Amino acid sequence: MNKFVAVQDCGLIINEKTAESQVFGAMIMGVCFSLFEERVMDDVTGRPLNANMEFYKLAGIGDIGDFVVHMWKDDPEQDARGVIGLGEPPANSPAAAIGNAIANAIGVRVPQAPFTPARILEALEKKGGLSS
Amino acid sequence: MNAFEYAAPTTKEQAVSLLGSQWGETEILAGGTDLLSLMKDNLTTPKRVVNIKDIKELQGVKYSGSSGLRLGALLTLEELLSNATVKKEYPALAQAAEGVSSPQIRHVGTVGGDLCQRPRCWYFRSGLGYFPKATGLQGPAFAFSGEKSFAEEVTNESGKDLIVNGKNEYHAILGNSGPAYFVHPSSLAPALIALDAKIRIFGSAGWREVSAEQFFVTPKNDGDRETVLKPNEILGEIIVPSSQGNPERDIRSPAKGGPGLAPSLLRL
Repeated sequence: MNKFVAVQDCGLIINEKTAESQVFGAMIMGVCFSLFEERVMDDVTGRPLNANMEFYKLAGIGDIGDFVVHMWKDDPEQDARGVIGLGEPPANSPAAAIGNAIANAIGVRVPQAPFTPARILEALEKKGGLSS
Repeated sequence: MNAFEYAAPTTKEQAVSLLGSQWGETEILAGGTDLLSLMKDNLTTPKRVVNIKDIKELQGVKYSGSSGLRLGALLTLEELLSNATVKKEYPALAQAAEGVSSPQIRHVGTVGGDLCQRPRCWYFRSGLGYFPKATGLQGPAFAFSGEKSFAEEVTNESGKDLIVNGKNEYHAILGNSGPAYFVHPSSLAPALIALDAKIRIFGSAGWREVSAEQFFVTPKNDGDRETVLKPNEILGEIIVPSSQGNPERDIRSPAKGGPGLAPSLLRL
């Protein structure tokens, strides 16, 4: 992850700093579930195998790139809509955006998150390699 | 976690006399980074925990050009990697210690503890032992209308090897004919083996010595452990002969802070 830009339209902004923080938080969550978070179950017994913070992976500080948050503001029409929720909306798009970036880079879609190295290799294999 | 007796001996002789003759009766505590999670997950339920951190003799690091490097088992990984002599004479060891994720673990985790870690195999950590097998009938827990009933869909997978047939992306695939398939999690072991290190073990009969390579064994039974240590012995110190610097390459999972997947070392 090098750079990640979010533009958020959330109606009237009461406190810009905390509104931005919501978006930063959602982006971090987005990187986590797009690249790392996965529940692993044993197929035979149905047992969860990674119900701990060791194997249920989250992004560390080194996995988070340069984040840019741009709040859509100073638009009288948007402000007139009043206050709209901001907790969840910015968490919706990261997986799609990261998935698109990967497809753009390798020329094939990786259809399942998290986009792990193994899944990327699998998608490339189906396509017949990087070169074609 | 169960209640247990706690002992904090100050000599290695006392420590050995406090250890039981069966695995699991007693456990040795040094940094505790692995032991605590094992105890919290009920993977070991010792009657007595023997804290060896107060044994001064097993601490410290010493170097001489002729006899090489002596690492006390209680040396922390941070002390190892920040030691100027180690950095200069044995860069591979310093790098290997650096490969142990998170500064918090490096500051309490010890050199001896790194070598005595239990497998990180997620079947083992789920309490299924080294050789997890399917038991009895497996089938869907619920059948909705129009679907096959439990009795129709159930399959007898009893005895099926869960690791070989299951989620094994973190398991050993090279140089391992089984029956246990975990990768040893030690970060220092490849470096110590490549550097021809000797592991010195203290027991009731005194010191004995094995090469780092011979220290590790693949367990054949669920009661066994992964090293040649006996239940009432202590890994006391490690002797590394004088050597040239060695490069190391560590293969890790992508998330930072995770355990190494396959530490490796190339000696040139």
